[in-house]
Amino acid sequence: MAEKKKRVAIIASSGSVETAYKVLNIASAAAAMEAEAAVFFTFDGLRIIHRQGIHQLAPGAGKEDLKDRLARSGVPSIPELLDLAKSSGVRLIGCQMTMDLMGIEPSDLIDGVEIGGAATFLDYAFDAEVTLSF
Amino acid sequence: MKEIKVNLTVHCEGLSCPLPVMKTKQAMETVRPGDVIEVVATDRGSIADLKGWAQRTGHQYIGLREEEGRYRHYLRRALPEEEKQEQQFPDTADCEELKEALSREDVRVLDVREPAEYAFGHIPGARNIPLGDLDDRLEELDPSRTWYVICRTGQRSDLACRQLAEKGLRVKNVVPGMIAWDGPIEQDF
Repeated sequence: MAEKKKRVAIIASSGSVETAYKVLNIASAAAAMEAEAAVFFTFDGLRIIHRQGIHQLAPGAGKEDLKDRLARSGVPSIPELLDLAKSSGVRLIGCQMTMDLMGIEPSDLIDGVEIGGAATFLDYAFDAEVTLSF
Repeated sequence: MKEIKVNLTVHCEGLSCPLPVMKTKQAMETVRPGDVIEVVATDRGSIADLKGWAQRTGHQYIGLREEEGRYRHYLRRALPEEEKQEQQFPDTADCEELKEALSREDVRVLDVREPAEYAFGHIPGARNIPLGDLDDRLEELDPSRTWYVICRTGQRSDLACRQLAEKGLRVKNVVPGMIAWDGPIEQDF
């Protein structure tokens, strides 16, 4: 379509496995619908793009059965979804402030991630039609 | 179930949201404008999702067939804006005119849409030759008849009419086309 691309801005501030799915599903679907999509990972959300953290994502309290259900359902894994999101053009932004606070280095994060602060995200989000926070 | 001819089949069996949509998008980028793809999914959400996706991206959602827990979606890749030209063939008829003409012995209907579009609903008795195959299948058209040529919106049928008139056939372009047809419809399955 000739019209300007829609823009979706997402904040991930929790590091549970369900947050990772919500964030990556919506961002990837947005990209498939020819929208721009960016996710800002802050505080616990940073685990989703952390090289080690990504393999240790746990369900939130009271949702312990989720891991089994996910394993049985044929839903793709979080690393697979991250690859899909990246290859469809979703921007992944790690929060610099959280990284400084927790002593996380850029090399601790998965490949293909940008690093920026609140202004980086806002500069993008000011022009977004859809803004979501998880 | 009768097979429907498509340019590409995308297998999304066992995949959950958002993968059917993402794989559809990727596949659509590999076919030519005007081509038809079939997406086979088991995810119930794909019914609403693929329709919504097509509407948003401008592609044509042709239809859905269900069989044994499988959803077969048919979608046609949109043509770029620049390929949509003014209709040039002067001899046209609207759908009302076509309805009246159908009772005449010398009148035949030629549907130049893709086989999947035709399968999901066509005028009873219409012959289906997709625009791209017309050159190779000219001999199927009886030159002693008047052919009412129809597609979805009148674009492809306009090109077909120009092509056929050049070969000496008597043709009329039905405008706008199947999107305005409210007469009887036949399905192929």
